[in-house]
Amino acid sequence: MELRQVYEQLQGDYDSAIKRLMSEKFMKKYLKKFIDNKMDEAIMRALDAKDYETAFREAHNLKGVCANLNLDRLKVSASELTEALRSGQPQGDITELINSLNADYNMTVEALSNIEFS
Amino acid sequence: MDKNTLLIVDDVDINREILKDIFEEQFTIYEAEDGEAAISLIDKYKEDIAIMFLDLQMPRKNGLEVLTYMNEQHLENQIPVIMITGESTVDSDVKAYELGVADIIYKPFSPAVVIRRTLNIIELYENRINLENKLEERTAQLRVSQKKLEMNNEFLMNALSSVVEFRSLESGEHIKRVKTFTGVLLSHLKKLYPEYNITNEQVHLIVNASALHDIGKIAIPDEILLKPGKLTDEEFEFMKTHSAKGCEILEMFKQEENEFYQYCYDICRHHHERYDGRGYPDKLVGENIPIWAQIVSIVDVYDALVSKRVYKPSFSIEEAERMILAGECGTFSPKIIDCFESAKEELFELTQSELSFNDVV
Repeated sequence: MELRQVYEQLQGDYDSAIKRLMSEKFMKKYLKKFIDNKMDEAIMRALDAKDYETAFREAHNLKGVCANLNLDRLKVSASELTEALRSGQPQGDITELINSLNADYNMTVEALSNIEFS
Repeated sequence: MDKNTLLIVDDVDINREILKDIFEEQFTIYEAEDGEAAISLIDKYKEDIAIMFLDLQMPRKNGLEVLTYMNEQHLENQIPVIMITGESTVDSDVKAYELGVADIIYKPFSPAVVIRRTLNIIELYENRINLENKLEERTAQLRVSQKKLEMNNEFLMNALSSVVEFRSLESGEHIKRVKTFTGVLLSHLKKLYPEYNITNEQVHLIVNASALHDIGKIAIPDEILLKPGKLTDEEFEFMKTHSAKGCEILEMFKQEENEFYQYCYDICRHHHERYDGRGYPDKLVGENIPIWAQIVSIVDVYDALVSKRVYKPSFSIEEAERMILAGECGTFSPKIIDCFESAKEELFELTQSELSFNDVV
């Protein structure tokens, strides 16, 4: 699938991304890394261990990467979880935030895997 | 650019990769994935690093801790840091700037802007460091020339003041001792009476000025200046004109607003005034006599007592002290007497040491 189409599917701003990331070649390199990094697992591991400081940092990292790659929809859910964890303890019930992050993450990775990387 | 190494510190590899792709062509790039790794790279390459990109949120020492370390090592003016952050919170931005961050760039960023800002900052820091180095170099040169000037000055002053002494058939030792003793007494005055606000710079000037205190003796004829034994009243009156005559010489080269000139003038004119107003030439009373003239006055008296002169033998140190304290050689302010008492051990030691009396024995 074309990169532009994948971005449309993910509600990501392709034009902004290509302008900042300079070429599709670079973009694909980063996106491939993004899939390999499995940043969601790091967040979930930390949450399971109730290590909220690490969970905050990992969510924050995901948010930053999504911003750089213009994975805008996932960025929103990562950002919401980040804010809920910023104080070091979860603010209220964060189950829903975790669920929507997981859903967005899976959908994103699934869409990205349609890209021809080589 | 003088340096072309760039350090990227971020715990997310994609973020490092993006910066690396932007700068790879122009720079040698080192990467660190946490604060501790950053610090060891800084230690190793601090001389080469042109600029550093720093993430805030990282495991094993975060960005602020890295900045704190750089501050402790005084690297904040040597290695510019660009903070790359996902969000702007006023608190962390202010804190980062306080710790010496050169700039903050927010994600997502545009390469063109990052490149421009990066190169600008490198240039800015390099210019500043070059300027500082130049300034330092220039300051060192100035210090050397000033030192030379001072030495020339001192040489001329000593030569000039010795002319008078040689005529009095003394060697240059009296001048040397007056200068040294003046320095000693001033240091005690500074300690005992800080209200005079004497600075080290002033001490230096006053010590040098004291060399000229008797320059007016050049105008006294040999038969009075070199007369062995007691002067007649008339001769003594003529002898007393030496302090005013010295000032006539100095006034020919008057320098308005020159502190050093003022010390030379005051010391030359007033080193025979007495605290009770019975001195000469102006019969100044008490603190109207400039403090530097009061100091040179007691020093001159002390040295005259312990030296042999054409008209007198030398007195022992103890006798000299007794005569001064008994008021047999003029009157001095209680403060000056205090300084003399406080400084006397030092004076005595100097009097007996190498400084002393090649001219007297």
